[in-house]
Amino acid sequence: MAPTTEPILEVGGLVKHYPLTRGILFKKQIGAVKAVDGVDFTLGRGETLGLVGESGCGKSTVAKLLCSLERPTAGSIRFKGEDITGLSGRALKAVRRNIQMVFQDPYTSLNPRMTVGDIVGEPYEIHPEAAPKGDRRRRVQELLDVVGLDPEYVNRYPHQFSGGQRQRIGIARGLALRPEVIVADEPVSALDVSVQAQVINLLDRLQSEFDLSYVFIAHDLSVVRHISDRVGVMYLGRIVEIGRDAEIYDHPTHPYTQALLSAVPVPDPEGRAHRERIILTGDVPSPVDIPSGCRFRTRCWKAQPRCAREVPLLAVPAAFRATPGPAAHPSACHFAEEAVPITPAPPREHGVNGDGPR
Amino acid sequence: MLLDVRDLHVEFRTRDGITHAVNGVDYAVDAGETLAVLGESGSGKSVTAQAVMGILDTPPGRITAGRILFRGQDLLTLKEQERRRIRGAGMAMIFQDALSALNPVLSVGDQLGEMFVVHRGMSRKDARARAVELMDRVRIPAAAQRVRDYPHQFSGGMRQRIMIAMALSLEPALIIADEPTTALDVTVQAQVMDLLAELQREYRMGLILITHDLGVVADVADRIVVMYAGKIVESAPVHDLYKAPAHPYTRGLLDSVPRLDRKGRELYAIRGIPPNLTRIPPGCSFHPRCPMAQDVCRTDEPPLYAVSDGRGSACHFWRECLHGPDH
Amino acid sequence: MPEQPHQPEGAIAGTGMGGAMDLGASEAVTLERAPGGPPGTGPAGRPRSLWSDAWRDLRRNPVFLLSALVILFLVFISLWPSAIASGSPLTCDLAKSQDGPGPGAPFGYDGQGCNVYTRTVYGARASVTVGLCATLGVALLGSVLGGLAGYFGGTWDSLLSRLTDIFFAIPVVLGGLVLLSVVTSNTVWPVVGFMVLLGWPQISRIARGAVITAKQNDYVQAARALGASDSRILLRHIAPNAVAPVIVVATIALGTYIALEATLSYLGVGLKPPSVSWGIDISAASPYIRNAPHALLWPAGALALTVLAFIMLGDAVRDALDPKLR
Repeated sequence: MAPTTEPILEVGGLVKHYPLTRGILFKKQIGAVKAVDGVDFTLGRGETLGLVGESGCGKSTVAKLLCSLERPTAGSIRFKGEDITGLSGRALKAVRRNIQMVFQDPYTSLNPRMTVGDIVGEPYEIHPEAAPKGDRRRRVQELLDVVGLDPEYVNRYPHQFSGGQRQRIGIARGLALRPEVIVADEPVSALDVSVQAQVINLLDRLQSEFDLSYVFIAHDLSVVRHISDRVGVMYLGRIVEIGRDAEIYDHPTHPYTQALLSAVPVPDPEGRAHRERIILTGDVPSPVDIPSGCRFRTRCWKAQPRCAREVPLLAVPAAFRATPGPAAHPSACHFAEEAVPITPAPPREHGVNGDGPR
Repeated sequence: MLLDVRDLHVEFRTRDGITHAVNGVDYAVDAGETLAVLGESGSGKSVTAQAVMGILDTPPGRITAGRILFRGQDLLTLKEQERRRIRGAGMAMIFQDALSALNPVLSVGDQLGEMFVVHRGMSRKDARARAVELMDRVRIPAAAQRVRDYPHQFSGGMRQRIMIAMALSLEPALIIADEPTTALDVTVQAQVMDLLAELQREYRMGLILITHDLGVVADVADRIVVMYAGKIVESAPVHDLYKAPAHPYTRGLLDSVPRLDRKGRELYAIRGIPPNLTRIPPGCSFHPRCPMAQDVCRTDEPPLYAVSDGRGSACHFWRECLHGPDH
Repeated sequence: MPEQPHQPEGAIAGTGMGGAMDLGASEAVTLERAPGGPPGTGPAGRPRSLWSDAWRDLRRNPVFLLSALVILFLVFISLWPSAIASGSPLTCDLAKSQDGPGPGAPFGYDGQGCNVYTRTVYGARASVTVGLCATLGVALLGSVLGGLAGYFGGTWDSLLSRLTDIFFAIPVVLGGLVLLSVVTSNTVWPVVGFMVLLGWPQISRIARGAVITAKQNDYVQAARALGASDSRILLRHIAPNAVAPVIVVATIALGTYIALEATLSYLGVGLKPPSVSWGIDISAASPYIRNAPHALLWPAGALALTVLAFIMLGDAVRDALDPKLR
């Protein structure tokens, strides 16, 4: 599923395996944690791509790879056509100016021993060419203003701010070098509900103001839907379904996406007795020992012998290829089919509750 | 009434002064009822529950006023020994972080069986058998084999089931679940909430569900109390509250949650941040963040006005709020 | 969406680690909504940091005040012993051997007829010098080696860890007897060098752990994502956040180094006469303990008091820097 604008970031065959070793001094590899195991997507300019998935699906590792905080085991990340995975030294530093990260935990993402001014101004110290020395303080204050903090607070320390305000400081630091891409890893999941909305709105506003492209990573499907133009659903190191937000949320064709969506509690008690829900059984398998064929098959109620043999590719399923429509988007399932959209929930006599093997 | 909390006050002595964590909370739960306590961090929702369970750290915590009536008996007048008997058999608690709530060096079977040995005087062997039974009840696969496993050998969802099994072991009349699914993934969260609701129905227990998640509340609660700065600002049956909130804070919370079924570009955001509990604003503690605040809100603390039968709102302007003026 | 899991309700947050990271929303100030008040300040009305909080705690701690007073006095007499003791510690008169207190000699005389008071005062210098220099050397070497190993990890880290294990296996006194018995120099430096050699692994372990903890914070990742160099990350982000445990352990170790110096001198391999040291005096006085116990008790008492003062100071500093340990 291609973005509607020109691509700014193209990810192909991205793999990150962490070796598992044994031995004290002389280490022997005995296996690998396959955190990211073949991820492809494209991010268009000015677009927001949401990546959702449960813990351990590899979404945070993707974020680290995109920001060159980890080196991929294989695959490519192209920024404006140039592969950045092999860069080092000066070239890597130059690319970093363009891809910045917003972190999840506002309590550990700011150095407690530095003032807000030093934190937001640090990018200019690392990249002195980005702003002349005399201009930095003004720029820092401007940035604080942009993210909705009083510019007078440059001399305060992070612990004097609330979680939401700290997240704003982190965003200001990310913006300092005027990057084109921002990778946000669970940027609001540590915040209270009332503060979460403030930060989401801020990210929304900054996107249009600074012409930013976002990769927005979260486990909260509602938040991702709110902010994303396109959404990729990850499971055990791979994207299992990707498409425009309405395609994914209203016409999911992968059983995992369907289960995920049906499990999201809706903040509305009306009709809760009739809401149909796919309850998945079991837990996510270990990324050390990934099931053969389709990696979701161990929890899937549709699984057939074929699923254990053949790895389903992330492509528009054959059933939908002929008829263009919202269901015709890439989905890595041999038996992809469109389910009834979960909301608004139509009252039913019996849901699909019993379908899953309990 | 199974549990009746009346005018509870809890404070903490800290280096920076006295933190007023709970400032006059009233709520009640009946057998078979699910009461959701909704609030953000610092609202006092967990502290209230800890006071009810009698597991508040004192010091620095201190219950300065109020009564906690459990089956008509004021728990705060009981001796620690008598309270201990009520914990477990009368009421039990489920915590957010099952990994740290379980003892890492004891097998889950021993921990589950412990309850029967201590409270019921069972033999080790019988207790082990009951433990397997309980693990089966909370649908842990292959319970008989896994009873000797240690907590870290279970996944997050399974650990939370073990916590539930432990809470259920003595068939208490009341269960307090403090953010039971917050640490879990959404598909596992659904499994655990389903299980909890089913068991509650079966045993006709009272359930106090403490959470910040408006979605989880909407799914399972009968009644909701919304807490802010250590006070209850709204109390209502679940359907009424979601249909028409009678307090601007509740309204703000409902409007600020992004929803799967509604995609708008701008979310409503409650302005400002939660108050510092060492210096709670005078009058209505929500007034600095409230879009409807008037002069009276800065000076007069609103009581919990009766909105209708079984419904209350601590807002001077609950009528205006109920009829939904825009923000 | 989830609340801060490490923050069980804002109310309790204030009891956590005072200044630094885990103050919750309740502690947070009212920047956005109270234009009138003094925003952004703690209840004390000024910016707070770990150090200023720790200092605030220390100033009110009688244990700290008492031990600091003792230590200041010790430092003073080791710099200017002549200020409170007249005469030279080396001027002895055998005629006064084992005499009791007399004019100008409130502590009496030892077996050689030396003034115990003067010798005890002058002996402070050796103890304080050895203690401070050894601690400084140990802290520098240990934190650099341990810090680098913790930061870069890998093979060097494994090698260093095994090396520290080996050093931990060396019995200190036995090692001192063997190594220092071949040294002929009569200065404090061989003793200091020996202590640094055997002491650094202790600090190195602490520093390594502290650096690994600090390294895992997101602000380090953030700096790396900005393109910061390793030296910048180490000096600006990791060192200030990892130094506290090193300081605590080093302060407590200081007392033990002073005791070790006395032990080695007592055994005859540390300082040797004509140097003046409490260990030497204790050693010299021990044969006459029945006839002249004062010659032993005064230097021994001074030693015990000094070691105690440093250990208590270390305890107080630890409590102030890490209230969670209390």
